[in-house]
Amino acid sequence: MTTQLFEYAPSSPDSLASTERDDPVHGELMKLNMGPQHPATHGVLQLKIDLDGETMHNIDPVVGFLHRGKEKTCESLGWAKFFPHTDRLDYVQPLMNNIGYALTLEQLAQLEVPERGQIIRVLLMEISRIAAHLIYLGTTAIDLGAVSIFFGTFKERERIYSILDAYTGHRMNNSYVRIGGVFADVDDQVEGMMREFLNSIPASIDGWEGMLTGNRIWYDRNRNVGTITKEQALAWALTGPNLRGAGVALDLRKSQPYSGYEDYDFDIPVGTVGDCYDRYLVRIEEMRQSVLIALQALERLRTTRGGEFLAEDRRYVLPPKDKVHSSMEELIFQFKIVTDLRLPRGEAYHPIESSKGELGFFCVSDGTSSPVRCHIRAPGLYNVQAIPAIAEGRLFSDMVAIIGSLDFVMGEVDR
Amino acid sequence: MVIIKRKELSFIEKLYLPQIFQALSHSFRAMFQPRITRQYPEEPLPTNEVTRGQPRLTLLEDGEHLACVSCGLCEAACPAYAITIDGHETERFIEREPERFEIDMLRCILCGFCEEACPKDAIFMSDELELADFSRAALVYDIDKLKRPREELQGRIDYFYQVNDRWRTPSSTS
Repeated sequence: MTTQLFEYAPSSPDSLASTERDDPVHGELMKLNMGPQHPATHGVLQLKIDLDGETMHNIDPVVGFLHRGKEKTCESLGWAKFFPHTDRLDYVQPLMNNIGYALTLEQLAQLEVPERGQIIRVLLMEISRIAAHLIYLGTTAIDLGAVSIFFGTFKERERIYSILDAYTGHRMNNSYVRIGGVFADVDDQVEGMMREFLNSIPASIDGWEGMLTGNRIWYDRNRNVGTITKEQALAWALTGPNLRGAGVALDLRKSQPYSGYEDYDFDIPVGTVGDCYDRYLVRIEEMRQSVLIALQALERLRTTRGGEFLAEDRRYVLPPKDKVHSSMEELIFQFKIVTDLRLPRGEAYHPIESSKGELGFFCVSDGTSSPVRCHIRAPGLYNVQAIPAIAEGRLFSDMVAIIGSLDFVMGEVDR
Repeated sequence: MVIIKRKELSFIEKLYLPQIFQALSHSFRAMFQPRITRQYPEEPLPTNEVTRGQPRLTLLEDGEHLACVSCGLCEAACPAYAITIDGHETERFIEREPERFEIDMLRCILCGFCEEACPKDAIFMSDELELADFSRAALVYDIDKLKRPREELQGRIDYFYQVNDRWRTPSSTS
């Protein structure tokens, strides 16, 4: 597919005012600041909008209210100590960010993750994707007035929290992924909880879909609202469900498989029109596909029981504790890895398909214990910058639906 | 790749009535389902050995001295710079012990990296999670507030050794 440049020409307030000055209703634009404390902007996003009656012009998204300097922090903290910080990027799916960062470091270190480690990672990623899409569904629905959906999705999300609590010991901000695999094996109890959750969630999804998809209000507020064409979506570098909603079947799990995704059997849902309704349908279908992938991963977990989940490489991975107590060699490795974990000279970029789109970490190493440069390609930022093109000329009430359907988390946008 | 079907509303759905009744039935059914919320201070979340709560220092069997030898690995592993250690020489066999060991609980993010780094089993995550006081200074915990007998943390220690059991195949370096 050829990408053609989409030109976005904002209408200037002067031209609008002069052409329609004789009209008593039109002609004067009102400046409206939506956010940064507006509950429907999903975080601290500010939108400066020129309103002509109810029609929006010159939309200017202002980001950066939640800027914490994560990239610079990574450069001063060092390789392994940045894991807890990745949790706080897209805080509705912390384990996905952990895995994205770990994959970049493993690419840099040329480290192979054992099979069981990869299966556990796929399982965690798909559960995180369901959790993130549940947040999308609940918050978008409550913004458009459907409160009971919100409670339903948060009830199911609570079960995901319980699973992660039983596995990692934390409900949020898990930081349980290490270079070379995951910190702990999935035991029978957690496996049972996951299986129970994955078997019951499709019925809940059907219930919400039954309440929303054929709902007259949901239909009217989403249908043909916030339409973005294939070419526009590519030109604005949208990824993830927003791009697939516009009809481009690009999914990094299929196009550049990682962590063994090529062995799983799943479909990529693709929309046709590219409006809010398509993006909603794509995410609903993605949740169902995630359930299928996660169930396959659980089956594989059963066949690889007792396998290694953390790569055996004493340059990057801490040795087991009991050996540290008994062996001088292992004690030296323990000290070396904790105080001065060095990755080889070079640069690496590993994109993963997060729930929002292409999440990539770009790290440049000069062979010392911290990166020279760490750049985070956060999909949310690209979704936010497409707002002016999507919402130009629409009614103000559509803005809530558009923001909801683009599904960004400001922790990741501002980072 | 699967192209999703866009639904067109039927005549009945356009009337909005079936959706009203469906949503009402959903709400009525929810009234008889078990409650998922929790009355927090009265009913706290159950904790177990998996819970990563605040870090605590273990005491040796004598119940007097810390297991810590103030090597500073936890200080080096801490991503939040919450730990401060000053060590000094001691007459005991281990030769070094902490004179001052402080964890700033306001900085601590409970990640558990200190527990993973410690080579002497001296620091472990407890199941204590609640943290409140009237001043910030009172939340910088010193040795007196951090030390716990080993028996209190035994559940977590056993769990940690169980999940840390990896690389079962014999290797060349050990």
